[in-house]
Amino acid sequence: MLEETLDAALTDEAVLVTYRRMFAALARDSGAVVDDPALVDIAETLFAAFAAAGEEWLTHEQMRHACRAYPADLFENRLRVLRGLGAVREVFPKPNQLRYRASFTSVVGLMFIRRMMDDGGQSEMHRLLALEDLNAADPRTTMEQARQSAQNLARAFRLWALELITLTTGTIEELREQAPKLWGTAEITRRAQSLHGTILGRWPALDRTCTELRTAIHAYSDASRRAAGRLADSAGTTRNLTLLPAETWRTFAQTATRERLAAVLDGFAFDAAAPWHDPAAIAQAVDEAPRPTPVRPAPPRSPLPDAGPASRYDPVQADLDRLIAVAERALAGRAEAPLGELLVNDWPAIRRLLADLTSADLRPELPYRLRWSDTLTARPQGHPSWLSHGTLERRSPDA
Amino acid sequence: MPEQAHVAARRSGVLRVPASERVPPGFVRLSQGDSAVALPQWPDGATPSLLEEYQLAPFPVERAGETRRMLAACLRVCWQDLSADPWPGVAVPAEQALSCYRALTGRTDDTTRSWSIGALRRLNETGWISLGVPADGNWSDLRPGRGRLDLAGAFVRLGPRCALWPADSHAQLRDVVRRIPPPAPTGETGVPLTGLREEGARDLEDLLGGYDERRRAELVAAFMAVEHAAEPVPEARFTALRDPALRRTLAEMLERRGRTLIQRRDTWISGYRDGLSGGDASDAGRLGEGERAVLTLVLVHSVAIPRADGLLGEDTWLSPYPVAVEELRRRTLLPIGELDAALRTLRQCGLLTQVKSAEETGGGYVPGPQFHRLTQAARARLQEELILAAGPHTPLAVAIRSRRSTRPLPTEPSAPGGTE
Repeated sequence: MLEETLDAALTDEAVLVTYRRMFAALARDSGAVVDDPALVDIAETLFAAFAAAGEEWLTHEQMRHACRAYPADLFENRLRVLRGLGAVREVFPKPNQLRYRASFTSVVGLMFIRRMMDDGGQSEMHRLLALEDLNAADPRTTMEQARQSAQNLARAFRLWALELITLTTGTIEELREQAPKLWGTAEITRRAQSLHGTILGRWPALDRTCTELRTAIHAYSDASRRAAGRLADSAGTTRNLTLLPAETWRTFAQTATRERLAAVLDGFAFDAAAPWHDPAAIAQAVDEAPRPTPVRPAPPRSPLPDAGPASRYDPVQADLDRLIAVAERALAGRAEAPLGELLVNDWPAIRRLLADLTSADLRPELPYRLRWSDTLTARPQGHPSWLSHGTLERRSPDA
Repeated sequence: MPEQAHVAARRSGVLRVPASERVPPGFVRLSQGDSAVALPQWPDGATPSLLEEYQLAPFPVERAGETRRMLAACLRVCWQDLSADPWPGVAVPAEQALSCYRALTGRTDDTTRSWSIGALRRLNETGWISLGVPADGNWSDLRPGRGRLDLAGAFVRLGPRCALWPADSHAQLRDVVRRIPPPAPTGETGVPLTGLREEGARDLEDLLGGYDERRRAELVAAFMAVEHAAEPVPEARFTALRDPALRRTLAEMLERRGRTLIQRRDTWISGYRDGLSGGDASDAGRLGEGERAVLTLVLVHSVAIPRADGLLGEDTWLSPYPVAVEELRRRTLLPIGELDAALRTLRQCGLLTQVKSAEETGGGYVPGPQFHRLTQAARARLQEELILAAGPHTPLAVAIRSRRSTRPLPTEPSAPGGTE
């Protein structure tokens, strides 16, 4: 199932309008023209299948298979119409005929329709004019044929011009939308004039018909110019860019040389770069400069020679001697001495002595030990205001 | 004509003028030896810094931090006598400025070096510094091609724009210079320079003279704002834009500089007056062929195609649809090296804006803020030129050509303050 969007619906509608217009001359009534673009796709699929099938042509089943993407009733309906019009016919006109063939004319017609869809008939007009030009130059062409051809072209140009003129006096939106499909390029006018010249040169008697053709061509290019002029005047400063299809713009961007691209901006004045650097902004930029990562200073090294790490710990004898002297002075020849007796001076002296005795206590190689009890003496007036009870003792080396 | 000279100065950045003739009115001339350049005067000592007071975005500066640090480094090495004005200073080997920049940022890697050279080039291109070689009292500019800037043997000196810093801001600059570590001594000494600064006749004085101090300040503020802001300026912020009488004077001030006011709804900006091209002699400052070609391509992809597809609503040359650099690189006839150089220049001028996107492939370029500065006639002409180029045989092109042949291009300046 195709997704139905507004855009798709609009496109479909535009397609149908062209179909209806093209076959309006042939239609029996207004309902006779297809009302779904898919119906045309079915016909195209069918013709493609016929072309691939070769001399064997196709059976009904094969045709159905080729169009299997479409619903059965749509397919049957389409086939009935195509058969009715002779686009698809039995290979032999007899009852119960199973094989069908396609009409060459219808295929060509379809190709023509597709081309008309693409550009609203402009390129078809190009081809037609080129062909007519060839015909007019062909020695076999009679004067009567040339007159017919000139009259037909004159009629086509006049109708084209009329439609454009009506649009030009209408709303600008409608004009912008429709005009590019209708107006003739300089090329069409040139070809038409050349054809006119050929006919008039060969059959001066067709002077009258040629005048009509010339008038029609002029009316047409005049109407084109007027439509374009009205758009050019009323298009603001960018709106007319819509009047060239996006594809034209892309082609231009991809194929134009540097010179051609640059020429567009010739004569336009633009400012040179002239930034202003305010002193405050410069100061700010300097402040915000990424700071150089400061080099981390190496830790200071001793200037003394260093023998490297030692493999064995040797206590410094001088330190031990000092601790022994302190402990012996505290013991004063006794085996043990209560701390309460020793710690009597001011706090800094007490602290120093206590630190030394504790050090001596912690040295396993020295014989002095501190033994603490759980009691303490409070001396609210003294300093320190409380004192733990403990004893400093000298142990015998074997204890 | 003075307005032609002003147009030429704005188009080329700095205007080269003969040192022997009189200074053109409305200009400051800075001569060094035989060569002299002129820069437009700003009324009443105003500078574009004024925009900051009104919280308006000034002209965008590419890589502003780096560029300004490099300028500070150049000041540090070129401004050796701090008791004098910074300009003209001395010329020193460009390597000294680079080494000073390295000391300032503490980075010595290759990326930093190429960034700093990029900053030097931008400063050189915009008249803030000048790279060249001093020879016998003269100076020959380094003319960088499209390739890398070759600094071997090059000297740097302060550019003419450095002479535009008002004297009362020099103290701040001295302070900046003192804070920057000195460059490593190289043994090479600077080349002392002499320069002459001359003020031309004040061309706006007679217009401003009739106003009291407050109105005069308002006129000057609005003048600086419309001339230097990146985007159109809302009229609610400036009395001189709101009040029709003051706006008229403002339009006259701009007219003397070859400019005109452009309105879009309730915002204003200035642009080149229609019919003034700045003369052909100043082609030095004109965009190169490659740059114009790239700009045209961006206009086609970013404006014309979205417009043809019915995607653009507003009738402007600005667009939210960026063209990817890949598209320009792969599907055009332009050589890639030229493309990149052109994109850089166009970006610096504010003719293109780079749009970055979260995705790797997204982003690209859209027309830049300078397109705010096209008059209506110029915008319409741009449309016509594009149609003539892309569809020369369409009836529209025929209509445009025939209209031009009967009615030549508008040369009359559009009415000052005219609305769209």
